[in-house]
Amino acid sequence: MLFHEIYGTYFQTVSRILTEAVEHPLTPGEINRIIQNYAFEESSLSITESLGAEHWQLLKDDGTTILKNKPTIPLTMLQKRWLNAISHDPRVRLFTDHPIVFPDVEPLFFPEDIYVFDKYSDGDPYEDAEYIRNFRLILDAIKHQYPIQISITNRRGKRVTTKTIPEYLEYSEKDDKFRLIGTGGKLGNTINLGRIISCEKCEDKQDTKLSKRNRPHPRTIIFELVDDRNALERVLMHFAHFEKQVEKIDDRKYQVTIHYDKEDETEILIRVLSFGPMIRVMKPTAFINLIKDRLSSQKSCGL
Amino acid sequence: MAYSELIKNFNKVRDYMRDFYVYGFKSRDDYTKKSARSYDDEKRRIESWLGDYMEFHQTADGKNVFLSIDSRVTRHNPLYKAWKTKSFTDGDITLHFIIMDILSDGQELSLVDIAFQVDAYLAMFDHARVFDVSTIRKKLNEYVKEGLMVSRKSGKMMLYRRTEEFEMPDMDILDFFSETAPCGVIGSFLKDKTNDTADHFAFKHHYITGAMDSEVLCTILEAIHEKRNITVEMINRKKDRITETNVVPLRVMISVQSGRQYIMAYAQYFKRITAYRLDNIVTVKNGEIADRFDELKDKLNEMQQHMWGVATDSRSGNRMEHIEFTVQYDDGEQHIPRRLEREKRIGKVEHIDEHTSRFSADVYDASELIPWVRTFICRITDISISNEALETQFKDDIQAMYEMYGLKGGDDHAVS
Repeated sequence: MLFHEIYGTYFQTVSRILTEAVEHPLTPGEINRIIQNYAFEESSLSITESLGAEHWQLLKDDGTTILKNKPTIPLTMLQKRWLNAISHDPRVRLFTDHPIVFPDVEPLFFPEDIYVFDKYSDGDPYEDAEYIRNFRLILDAIKHQYPIQISITNRRGKRVTTKTIPEYLEYSEKDDKFRLIGTGGKLGNTINLGRIISCEKCEDKQDTKLSKRNRPHPRTIIFELVDDRNALERVLMHFAHFEKQVEKIDDRKYQVTIHYDKEDETEILIRVLSFGPMIRVMKPTAFINLIKDRLSSQKSCGL
Repeated sequence: MAYSELIKNFNKVRDYMRDFYVYGFKSRDDYTKKSARSYDDEKRRIESWLGDYMEFHQTADGKNVFLSIDSRVTRHNPLYKAWKTKSFTDGDITLHFIIMDILSDGQELSLVDIAFQVDAYLAMFDHARVFDVSTIRKKLNEYVKEGLMVSRKSGKMMLYRRTEEFEMPDMDILDFFSETAPCGVIGSFLKDKTNDTADHFAFKHHYITGAMDSEVLCTILEAIHEKRNITVEMINRKKDRITETNVVPLRVMISVQSGRQYIMAYAQYFKRITAYRLDNIVTVKNGEIADRFDELKDKLNEMQQHMWGVATDSRSGNRMEHIEFTVQYDDGEQHIPRRLEREKRIGKVEHIDEHTSRFSADVYDASELIPWVRTFICRITDISISNEALETQFKDDIQAMYEMYGLKGGDDHAVS
């Protein structure tokens, strides 16, 4: 059962309290600190009361516990089934040659039980040995914060080499690609892993002069949405992953504010266009002009 | 009943969270038609779990509550927290930790021995609780079912022990797949077992709403794996009506461009394979083994050659609809034919000359392609859809957009 208290925040928090209490008596302050770190905003009162008033007879008034060992819990069947399922995902090989598999347990699903019908078809080559090597080196460099030297083929087919200190990997399910975000050299902050032709650790840290990371360029658009053809639900689901606000104007009209980064402007533009006349951009003027440019070109196509 | 942060039934909060996150424009009055207290309690709970993401907006109709989450910045799906709020009794938590402790060194004990030791642990308290043997047996059997314990009969006696401990998978694996794999919340449960706070991944175009449907998805995946029928209770939100249907689930279909999740399932009543949205499924119950599962799955595989999304029938009533459109591009716009190639899911792309490509496909429902076709606005030179009403609507929509942005009539290239 997925919705079960054994996976719950209260059980996890009490487990952490008892783990410390096995070692030494806990003061109310120490208990509160654990609750604040691991539980919810209003948990302090309920957990403290329940432990203190001996509803949950696990911790004594003197801050010691009746347990003899630090609490642990085996993996549940559900957890094992999920781990077996992801062991069939080709992307797991990016991390390890030997994913954990429980031989006597059925996977929760096989890859063919699930179909992502709208991801792009030119995703990264997860089974390519060189790609896997690069991925692992980059991940290691992220963990241990050392610079790496990367060569890519640029859009004009030329080889370009740069040094970067990787910060994190960004994955897009739609593009099915990983991108390295780092403190970039001449290639900027972002490098598509699929474009990398070589990737090596920089041995000489002194020699690594790196420019600062480009700042984000936050942008906002405001559009009016007319709820025809179920547009309200379709639009709000589609833009759900952005920070946004929605305001109802009347029975059929809504005003939606979306926050995005300038680097994604073209993508946002075509996503707005995909909703046709159900969306009318109100602000900013620069974005409206981008739409007008496209519509104007379309008009000249004679349709 | 006094307010608690924890809940017994997930479905009520599931709806509120979806409303707060996806919509976020409803006022208190919109929610309180049924029960004002229920709204206040659910809002307070969600605020307690997800206070960092809760925002308020004052309008003429009152204060609107919404969840504002930029999933590119928030690296761990915050909605998973809701799955960690199951309520329990004092006895549940007390027995959990004591039984796990009693059996922690791997030994096998009988129910009577365990009950004896539980009493011994609790004797440390002045007003010790007493658990009867049947309560302890029930808890042990529940844990056997969840896979935390195994039981074995020895003569007339049932013996219990904890299941074997295993090394935890690499945290990066859990970190990545808890965000990208179906039922990723299970990965989040696994991460909670460790103190490692690996944080090496971020996610773009990341839809997190599906988290709310994790239990429904999990039950359906189990049924597909075992080739079982299921009974689903579906809600029609507009009519506020729940209906029950028996179907054979065949495949889960996921959209990474809207976050919607569906099951493709065969409905005996309608004698056809059709899509059901997971967020409209209220409950799922697994049934008998479906004899025709393999045959129906083969049928679905064939059908998918003509499915752009999840539609398996046309609005025009024809079995299949044909759609084709042509785009033009300049020398420096070679990304356009590449876009057609990588974004087409079915159908074919013909490169007519250096500056012109044509896409064509036979699909069950051509209307599913319209949003994609519109992304090529500025270069569409021709479009033809066998569903004439749809073609007319597409062209009318373009005209409406010209009008909307002041491009109707006059200079074709005027940009103000």
